Amino acid sequence: MIRVEHLRKQFGGIAAVDDVSFEAPDGSVTGLLGPNGAGKTTTLRLLYGLMRPDAGRIEVDEVDAVADPQRAQARLGVLPDVSGLYPRLTAREHIYYYGELQGLSGPVLARRTDDLLRLLDMAGIADRRTVGFSHGERTKVALARALVHDPRNVLLDEPTNGLDVMSTRAVRDIIRRLKADGRSVVFSSHVMQEVSALCDTIIVLARGRVVAAGTPDTLREQTGRPNLEDAFVALVGLPADGDG
Amino acid sequence: MNRPVAQALVVVRKELKDAFRDRRAIYSVLLGSLVGPILVGVMISAMADRQREIEDVAIPIVGRVHAPALIAWLEQQTGVTVLDGPADAEAAVRGRREAVVVVIPEDYAERFRASRPVEIRVVSDGSRAASRPKVQRVLGLLQRYGSEVGAMRLIGRGVSPAVVRPLDLVEVEVSSAQQRAAVILNFIPLFIVLAAFTGGMHIATDATAGERERGSLEPLLVNPAPRLVIASGKWMAAALSAMLSVGITTLLCLAVLRVIPLQDLGIRFRLGPAEVAGLVAGALPLCLLATAIQTCLATFARSFKEAQSYMGFLILVPMLPGVLSAVYPIASQPWMYPVPILGQHLLLSDVLGGKTPGVVMFIAAAATTLAAALVLVGLVTALLRRERIIFGR
Repeated sequence: MIRVEHLRKQFGGIAAVDDVSFEAPDGSVTGLLGPNGAGKTTTLRLLYGLMRPDAGRIEVDEVDAVADPQRAQARLGVLPDVSGLYPRLTAREHIYYYGELQGLSGPVLARRTDDLLRLLDMAGIADRRTVGFSHGERTKVALARALVHDPRNVLLDEPTNGLDVMSTRAVRDIIRRLKADGRSVVFSSHVMQEVSALCDTIIVLARGRVVAAGTPDTLREQTGRPNLEDAFVALVGLPADGDG
Repeated sequence: MNRPVAQALVVVRKELKDAFRDRRAIYSVLLGSLVGPILVGVMISAMADRQREIEDVAIPIVGRVHAPALIAWLEQQTGVTVLDGPADAEAAVRGRREAVVVVIPEDYAERFRASRPVEIRVVSDGSRAASRPKVQRVLGLLQRYGSEVGAMRLIGRGVSPAVVRPLDLVEVEVSSAQQRAAVILNFIPLFIVLAAFTGGMHIATDATAGERERGSLEPLLVNPAPRLVIASGKWMAAALSAMLSVGITTLLCLAVLRVIPLQDLGIRFRLGPAEVAGLVAGALPLCLLATAIQTCLATFARSFKEAQSYMGFLILVPMLPGVLSAVYPIASQPWMYPVPILGQHLLLSDVLGGKTPGVVMFIAAAATTLAAALVLVGLVTALLRRERIIFGR
């Protein structure tokens, strides 16, 4: 369960995130939808504690994430925008490294790692060094290490960006499964079908502000457009592609 | 074990595993460790060779038939052999075929019998530094023969040779053999100090600037570990690698010193367990500081390339005291020991020179060095909190 209230973050006088509030309850998928530069990545970085907000509150399972980012981080599984791997370590070693940093060890960590390798269908690549992995394989490794400590809340920054069809399907399956396990999943995307197919709640961001929030159906009703993409265009007030 | 320490060890283990799977990292550690001992071996062997060359001297003499007594006397001296000189003495020296040629004139015997000075020409090239010791030795031999003959003549005329020797020059060498060795061996501390800087360099840059460039810094920092833990883990991994490099360099230098013929240089050189312990105790704290500086600079650098160029400049810092003291030995003052880098250099030079710096000096040097390292690790921790550092500029 993640609760965000009046979040604000400025870079050199320009508000990248401006009075953003939303709630991501357990057992549901919340989508941050918006064009490039809308503040999706900044919002997520504030949530996982690598950026400090200028104002506002963030609660992760009732932990004040601004005051105690580390306790919040222990409850978060995060796939950041850039998720680089160590080319000389194997997939399994990546999962172990993060598991150990989260305080896991021994048979618990071994079992958890095996579960993740199975869940993400990584048996064939588990003990290979990650150099030369495909984009899909790299995303799986990054996802597995982010989930090693079995976090109740999962933040994914454009998890399907640049993936092929098969990998995209795999990631969507994972998101559904995380939801079914009763976790709170927040992910960002600019892909309409993905958001409409997966999300219980959509937060539409534009220029750092929440311009609309609700289920896909409410958004369609709000804008009076039967097509979600049209609804999105109407909400964001395009032309959005020039809005870096 | 408490949690932060356990986490720091996880980081240390990962960084070491990652680095030692990288062939370039292994090469950089090995290269930094091997260059020193090899150079020391070559340099000291060359010096020993030259020393032998001076003592075992072959003198080409033009006109040796004119002075059989002189030739016979020369050949009696230890290490001296007499050769037939080249036809054109000056051309041979100018053409670098000979370092020195002695020319005895045809009227030698005639003038000698008449007790008139004989002009003996010693042809040499003053611009060739390498031949100078040999020329000195030849001149010394001829002067000794001259004064011996002179003394005999005076005695023959009933005059004491002491009358024509108003000054009696006695050279007094005050440095002990081990101290003289220290001048030559001054390069060893330099190489040990260099190993402290090169040994951890690769990890220090790869784990910081490299980590960000790969895009793995952001996900790493999302783990619930304090920044101090991450910074210390990376620093310690680099420091351990530097210590390994220092260990290899020290052991190989000692091995080289055992193998090469130091006694040919007139050097008595003793290296017991106490000396080895002294070298290690002097050098290890420096590994902590060197890698702390490197970790800090590389965290601050905008890119991996920039970090590497900082490392290049940084190498010059430890060379300063080493180069200075190799050129002209600094008289060490007590206040110099607690100065990081300079202090270690003095400690190592002292140990190799047969002086025992007090335990206090070791502690003082280690304490200030460690303190400086900790300040820098604190700085790395602060840098890792900055959004600009985490996400790149």
